[in-house]
Amino acid sequence: MDSDQKSPLGWTTAAKIASRELHASRTKFVFVILSVAIGVAALTGVRGFSESFQKALLDQARSIMAADISAQMFRILTPQENAKIDALASSKSVERTWVTEMVSMASRQGDPVPLLVSLKVVDPAVYPCYGKIILHPAGDLRGALTDSTVVVDDNLLVRLHTNIGDQLRIGGQYFRIAAVIEKEPDRLTAGVGMGPRVMMTRGAVEKTGLLEAGSRATERYLFKLGPQSGKVQGIRAELEKILPEAQISDFRETSPAITEGLDHATGLLSLICLVAMVLGAIGVAMAMRAHLQQRIDTLAIMKSIGARSSDILRIYLFQTLLLGLAGSVFGLVLGVGVEWALPSLFGKLLPLHPPLRLPLGAVLAAFGTGILTTLLFCLPPLLDVRKIRPSVVLRKTVEGDAEKPSWSTRLRENKAQWISSIVVLLALGAIAAGLADSALVGKWFTAALAGTLAVVLALSTFTLRTLRAFLNKTRLHLHSALRHGLANLYRPGNQSAAVLAALGVGVMLILSVFLMQHAIVNRMNSDSTTGAPNIFLIDIGQNELAGVKELLAHQVGVNGKVETIPIVTARITAVDGVNAASLKLKNYPRRMLSSVPVTWADAVPEGVKMLQGKWWQTGHADGLAVVDRVAHRLNLHPGSVIEFQSGEEQIRARVAVIYKPEGEHAFARSEFIFPSGPLQGLPVVWYATVHVQPVQIPTLERALFAAYPTVTVINVADILETVEGVIHQITLVIRFLAGFSILSGAVILASSVASTRLRRIREVVVLKTLGATRNRVASVFSIEFALLGLLAGVVGVLFANLLTAVLLRKMDVPYHPEVVTSILSVIATAVLAVVTGWLACFRILGQKPLEVLREE
Amino acid sequence: MIDVRGLTKTIRNGSRVVEILKGIDLTVPRGQFLAIMGASGSGKSTLLGLMAGLDAPTEGEVLIDGAEISRLPEDKLAQVRGRKIGFVFQSYQLIPTLTALENVLLPYELNANGDGKQRAITLLETVGLADRLHHYPIQLSGGEQQRVALARAFVLQPPIVMADEPTGNLDSKNGQHVLDLLTERQREAKTTLVMVTHDQQIADRADRRIVVKDGRIIADENNGQ
Repeated sequence: MDSDQKSPLGWTTAAKIASRELHASRTKFVFVILSVAIGVAALTGVRGFSESFQKALLDQARSIMAADISAQMFRILTPQENAKIDALASSKSVERTWVTEMVSMASRQGDPVPLLVSLKVVDPAVYPCYGKIILHPAGDLRGALTDSTVVVDDNLLVRLHTNIGDQLRIGGQYFRIAAVIEKEPDRLTAGVGMGPRVMMTRGAVEKTGLLEAGSRATERYLFKLGPQSGKVQGIRAELEKILPEAQISDFRETSPAITEGLDHATGLLSLICLVAMVLGAIGVAMAMRAHLQQRIDTLAIMKSIGARSSDILRIYLFQTLLLGLAGSVFGLVLGVGVEWALPSLFGKLLPLHPPLRLPLGAVLAAFGTGILTTLLFCLPPLLDVRKIRPSVVLRKTVEGDAEKPSWSTRLRENKAQWISSIVVLLALGAIAAGLADSALVGKWFTAALAGTLAVVLALSTFTLRTLRAFLNKTRLHLHSALRHGLANLYRPGNQSAAVLAALGVGVMLILSVFLMQHAIVNRMNSDSTTGAPNIFLIDIGQNELAGVKELLAHQVGVNGKVETIPIVTARITAVDGVNAASLKLKNYPRRMLSSVPVTWADAVPEGVKMLQGKWWQTGHADGLAVVDRVAHRLNLHPGSVIEFQSGEEQIRARVAVIYKPEGEHAFARSEFIFPSGPLQGLPVVWYATVHVQPVQIPTLERALFAAYPTVTVINVADILETVEGVIHQITLVIRFLAGFSILSGAVILASSVASTRLRRIREVVVLKTLGATRNRVASVFSIEFALLGLLAGVVGVLFANLLTAVLLRKMDVPYHPEVVTSILSVIATAVLAVVTGWLACFRILGQKPLEVLREE
Repeated sequence: MIDVRGLTKTIRNGSRVVEILKGIDLTVPRGQFLAIMGASGSGKSTLLGLMAGLDAPTEGEVLIDGAEISRLPEDKLAQVRGRKIGFVFQSYQLIPTLTALENVLLPYELNANGDGKQRAITLLETVGLADRLHHYPIQLSGGEQQRVALARAFVLQPPIVMADEPTGNLDSKNGQHVLDLLTERQREAKTTLVMVTHDQQIADRADRRIVVKDGRIIADENNGQ
């Protein structure tokens, strides 16, 4: 009969054969299902959490913003702007309020030790437009907050050892603590503050003198629309016209910074999950290859009775689909657990903890990715069934030592495999692009992952070959258990190189994150422990400057020079005649042009290294020095003319110098340096930096606060602690998700061990027959697993160090090999491998020899 | 000397209980070559396995040199097997990850002290594998693999060797060669050899022949004595 006329194997029959075979090998396939489930679980958790978070943000959007529209600026409104907004508000029946946020110092009465606090100035009659401030003891903000009271975070009470009813000293004035803030609706929008919250009225802050012109404060103007106001976009457009420099957002975006950050984080974390998923899929492919190899006899019989390769392919494709489905379903269940765990890992980084739910989008993304990745990676091994010859039924012996085919022949013979591999890569790129929401990221991720896997695989193969050469040279000199364990790495069907690569990638991922975190934190700490300034004094008034310098000069523990820098706040209105609104900017938010800190120096100050141009000779010269970073972003060069406005004053300056910052100096943080002349008479505040012996910092803070209560002292150690906390929290989440890759690697190992179970049982029995005790057999297998773990650990650690060194170099952070961490990682991987190996085969030790030999 | 007393073995096959051996009594004197014959499923391999302590009998006992072995704990039993019994199986049962020399050396490493390397090499030379010492089982033919197994069985000079159809997987030429080597070594070392076989010709070369049928010994004959 012509084979073309033969109808293909029906899907029902294929499904029946596939499911029966799955059932018969269910122990082995448990690990395959787990391989898929791990990646799906991680992805479900991350995307589910992200979607739930976004939904919660949307549900509470107005409360989170405390308004319908918010306009954020670094200055207060001009009288003209105020008048226009007033007109808009009355014509459109829009309610408005004004919130000011800044840092300051506060202490309790009777104890001069001050604390850095995040001050928020509100009008309790209007604020918040939406949501509610919840206080303890319960009460209304309007009742609690007067010009002589404040409401504060619980954290402030703890840190200052104070209580409700006590007096708090801020800016030289005393305010009674009226209540504790239990919930502040727009805390999320305000961002992570530098200290505990203190809320006060505008009348109260005016008494303190903290809001001097030039002080760094953020102003938020909040608007609440009434029923007659019309659509939000209409009012927003009008506000954008009145306040072109303001960052305006409305409740529909929830919080742009947060949602944007969350989107980026979701993309990044999804890709980390995709690594686990790809490793899982490789595990499934390996298991499928091993399974097919063990089924060669059956497949040859099927072929000899007329089955075509496509029929067999259909059976195993169906089997793969079933495994992918089962793994994905199980992964979704585990994913709920991951989603549940994520908020606690993010900790205080997330002031809003969404309720646990499983959004459809997340389910579909994880489920689809799980099945698709599994099917894709199984394609190459499945295509191998075409090579099985029916003659195997008659002749099992492998024809030995046939001449190895040439590269071109192998390439031609494996055409389908190559094509399917390219399809896998393209599809993986598409999946990654979809998850990261960026084609570019998808492309780079796939290239990097494929490259890393290929190199790790090559390194693993090389390591195994080197070890084998060593084994062959030293065989009989090694202890027999060690030799036997080593030799087991090369057991037929063991797939040691792939296991090693998978486990190694997991180790690499998790260790790289740790090493990066460690290096960055170490760098920050080493900067603060050397002679670099560790105290910043901000908002020093012109009339306070001499006194502050004097105080510092006589203070115990102050090392080295006190550096001061004057700051005048200005806005850039035009560059080379081009209006600020039309300027072409590179990575420079336009709204930043509205609040530019500028300074002056008549000679090249410390911390400034000139790159181009010549410094001016007199204070009244026409000149301007611009830091290289800003010059690049604003496209400035010597000769460029910049127009500034500070208050009502217009200043026109020609760029004379481009400089780069150098060392830890006050001027190294400046962006625009004028000659002293043009800025004379403008409101100025001074900043100072100094290195103080860490133990003397509280004394200095106390003395400064007593004499100059409006001067804010920022202790770098406190900031570092906050930053370290944030880094720790972020890397904890990344490490948690990277841990899924290690888990995938471990499951691949388990799966590989399970697929060689029959061979292992036979070996155990033969060893026992020859007189081996349980301990002896256990030690041979343990050595095998430990060696695999050690090698994977070494490969992973090498790569992690390499990757970290490259990335740190790019970040200009020094790289030092972390020997102890690296050794511990290798040992931990070995322990993980031993535990996993035994979990996959522990029952084989109890096999009775005769039972097995009788089955032979 | 091997003493088998009232040996029975029952196994559960699904819901069915099958009695494989039904009360076997047998004594094999030191140095005897005993052939166990019987049809498939008669219980001959089970008898061999129980005599070698590879499994525990349901009832009865097995004594080797007067010591009861069938109730020994697993590790003790492994030691007895390692020191007193060598094995040759129909499907060779070599460890695939070890070379021929390492396979032969294995019983030495498991059960004895000192260096058995020279003895292992000598034995492999004796069985004609001097040039295959460092080959893996997969690189050897069936006959060669069985000769490695033979060398392994004799490396510790055990008083007993048990062989389960050692020529069953080999062609006649290789089978004859293996059998010659086996009997030669047995005679030289005065080893007690218990061999399960289907082959009447092989059984004819034994000192004694028993036939097992339905779990019982139905014939027990000495050859030419």
